[in-house]
Amino acid sequence: MDLVDSYVRAVAKALPERQREDISRELSEDLRSQVEDRQRELGRPLSRAEQEALLKQRGNPLLLAARYRQDQRSLTIGRELIGPVLFPFYVKVLSFNLGLTLVVIGAIFLALSISGQRLGFGDMFSTSLLQVFIQLAIVTLIFSLVQHHLTRHPDRWHLKGMRGTFALDLNIERDMESRIAGDMKGWGREVSRFESISIIIASAVAIAWITGVQSYPFLILGPAASFLKLAPIWYQLYFPILLLTVAEILRAVINLARPAWIPFRMLYRIVLHAGGLAVACALLRAGSWVMPVGVGANLTAGYLRTVHIVNQVFYWVLLFTVILSAGMLIFRIVEFVQRWRWHAREMGAAKESD
Amino acid sequence: MCRTVYGVHYMAPGTDSHELFENLRLELRRGSLVLAVLTALRKEQYGYTLRKTLSEQGMAIDEGTLYPLLRRLESQGLLVSEWREEEKRNKRFYRLSNEGKAILKQLLAEWQSISKSLNGML
Repeated sequence: MDLVDSYVRAVAKALPERQREDISRELSEDLRSQVEDRQRELGRPLSRAEQEALLKQRGNPLLLAARYRQDQRSLTIGRELIGPVLFPFYVKVLSFNLGLTLVVIGAIFLALSISGQRLGFGDMFSTSLLQVFIQLAIVTLIFSLVQHHLTRHPDRWHLKGMRGTFALDLNIERDMESRIAGDMKGWGREVSRFESISIIIASAVAIAWITGVQSYPFLILGPAASFLKLAPIWYQLYFPILLLTVAEILRAVINLARPAWIPFRMLYRIVLHAGGLAVACALLRAGSWVMPVGVGANLTAGYLRTVHIVNQVFYWVLLFTVILSAGMLIFRIVEFVQRWRWHAREMGAAKESD
Repeated sequence: MCRTVYGVHYMAPGTDSHELFENLRLELRRGSLVLAVLTALRKEQYGYTLRKTLSEQGMAIDEGTLYPLLRRLESQGLLVSEWREEEKRNKRFYRLSNEGKAILKQLLAEWQSISKSLNGML
């Protein structure tokens, strides 16, 4: 797939579905006509950099796609927080997140009622409302930040890979050419500032949540917190988990200031993944993750069954996490070794040509 | 410090005036674009050649504005389009519909009337 195809696909992803194919075909045709015209003028094929410059003139794929949309809805509270360009994506992400959250909450309530626990409407309502509020706030905040960037720098974007994906370019100092040059050295593209900022925000939210869970177990157990409590293993591993999250923030801050430190990020990620895997293994080995709040005679058969079901859920989730983390760790190590070799080859070739 | 303040006061009115002129100019051109596109499409053309024709006539229009405009005019029944092969590639050709021709005639009459009135005032 060439650059024109990548660009057209990036635009197509943001187009209304029923017009997608038609507009993409026409856009592709228009771009190819322009490329051919230019090649005729120059009497030679366009280089990759020239093609990129031509596509840059067309503008950000998101903004271009938005011009075809009839729907110009936006989110405005005092000032416009999310404009018509991002609004359809905002609605999609929010609907998906809220839908998933409500399904998970519904499943928890169903499991609890099957196991014989009585739940009041107030519990259900307050839990659902809290989760909806958290999702709404986080998704709106992230989209507002992206909108802010898009408004200030509509021309900062670059095509990424060959699948027609593109990224908003939050890198202030480097231009597209230096990114490609960075890629040529074998370490991949430099870390985008959007990625670093997103990680800092997400990790900060995670720290607030992890800390909150210590005092308010309902943040993880929901309404079941009235009769279940977290097992001691969570308190024993609180600091390692906190440390890993803080370390991730530190890494993102460093890459925000030094986006070209790609080998640093790769090595750091391997260490963090190893740490995460160790924590997940320690959790899995604990065998019990929630305990009943009551003791002795208060523990009915239904009560104990609930504890057993919740522990089973934790077991499968943790097992899945351990397998996934181990797979990711292997992938990261292999990726690092491959990039290292590629980099060494590139450097060797550069020395030889000198 | 004083120089900076002076610079800001000195530059601001000029910049505002330039921005205001640009906005008004764009507004004026935007109003004329539909007329230019309809006029150019009395003869069947595909998007790229239409854009070149307009540009050569001093009515340059960027692609991000032209194609959505063509779609709007087509959905309003003023244009008709069809995909056809030319030079081994499929291209979408646009031309005026019968309704488009009638509307263009009225718009041109209106345009000439406005132009005549303005010329009289100048």
